[in-house]
Amino acid sequence: MEIINLSWLQIGIGFLILVLPAYILWRYRTGLNRKLLTASVRMVLQLLFVGYYLEYLFAYDNPWINAAWILVMVAVADFATVDRSNLQQKASVLVPIFGATFLGIIVIDFFFLEAVIQLPKLLAAQYTIPITGMVLGNCLRSNVIGINAFYYSLNEHKERYQFYLSCGATRSEALRPFISQALQKSANPTLASMATIGLVSLPGMMTGQILSGSSPLIAIKYQIMIMVAIFSGTILSVFLGILFTNRFVFEDTDMLDESILKK
Amino acid sequence: MSMPSLPEITFQAVSFGFEDEQILQRCSFRAPAAQHTILKGESGSGKSTILQLILGYYQPQVGQIMVNNNPRQPRDLRKQSSWLPQDLDIGDGSVRDVMATPFDFAANTSQKPSVTTQQEVWQKLGLELGLLDKKFRNLSTGQRQRVGLALCHLLDKSLVLLDEPTSSLDRASKQKVAELLLDHNRTIISTSHDPFWVDLGDNLIELD
Repeated sequence: MEIINLSWLQIGIGFLILVLPAYILWRYRTGLNRKLLTASVRMVLQLLFVGYYLEYLFAYDNPWINAAWILVMVAVADFATVDRSNLQQKASVLVPIFGATFLGIIVIDFFFLEAVIQLPKLLAAQYTIPITGMVLGNCLRSNVIGINAFYYSLNEHKERYQFYLSCGATRSEALRPFISQALQKSANPTLASMATIGLVSLPGMMTGQILSGSSPLIAIKYQIMIMVAIFSGTILSVFLGILFTNRFVFEDTDMLDESILKK
Repeated sequence: MSMPSLPEITFQAVSFGFEDEQILQRCSFRAPAAQHTILKGESGSGKSTILQLILGYYQPQVGQIMVNNNPRQPRDLRKQSSWLPQDLDIGDGSVRDVMATPFDFAANTSQKPSVTTQQEVWQKLGLELGLLDKKFRNLSTGQRQRVGLALCHLLDKSLVLLDEPTSSLDRASKQKVAELLLDHNRTIISTSHDPFWVDLGDNLIELD
């Protein structure tokens, strides 16, 4: 069962369906059609770019190039995490979060690719690229939730943190309740999607595998593994992200260096 | 864990301010061991900041803060202290959780009160036992203040710092708080402009 390739004409025809939502958005003066246009153009250009370079990545399929690709993606995710977490792009935040995400990805990749799936070729592109991409995308999302929640609530409840310190807590004891809250916030979305998966929607990766000819039973096995990988990867990277940044963002007085927060 | 001696706190010409405003200008005073010292002054006179300086959340720009004639070591001092902050943001979750959290810290595990001791203190402050299962943030300010004071008492530290401890209490509650907290061998420093509480001090320091 080969997948049907789409011609650019077919893609063009596919875009025609946008007339329906565009009409609705125009009729109710949402002003969103401009955004729809730029978003569509960006989507096409970005994916064209990704499509071409992934072609090369797959053609070379060299473990070093694949590892370099992972590094670049982690760096991109790092800047995006810090920016969206309302933190300043300072080395004291960027470097630890990069380290945390990278370490998280390495652990997950080696465990699933080499120990579970047991790739015949180290970091084979066909498996490494999509699985790393999915885990990393989810790490980004939950890092933003978790790290933002942690620093936001630490700043919002500075007095509570000081209260814990005042009665003898060490810094890490005083931070424990804040870490707990951040972990809860970042774990909840993934847990919710694990609990409803298959009932409400068919997950993207599984859909893709089925489209390209895999049997649904193989597809669900990969889907189960990817969910486990995503959950482990996200918790690991949020936890390490908080742990690593904490080493650099406190002053000698145990107070948070507030210059890392966006005004 | 009893300390060898109760702390005496001395400010020696301490100046401190934030970027946009100077708070303390060469402030000097002595809060003797085992006494109740009151810091009195207009709001904005730096009373709360003095307590935070003692705890080492800020460092003086000029001058020294001494504990028993040695420069204060914040991390050591915090093991012997408790502090009631003005906004009473002292925990999250149920009142029971708020009461329990500080006793999970390694410095306090040996102080963990028995259920009966806790209930006695609770009743002395006129708090109902049913409150324990409520969310802390849903209590009235007066109730939260008394929960905080109960906690400061139960932690049984040699240095107790209280920021406006009676600001939301009625006369009867103030009396109960005074009987519970002041009748012990501790160094207490409180900020207040409540005449009832100010009267209970052993010495008064007026800030301008």
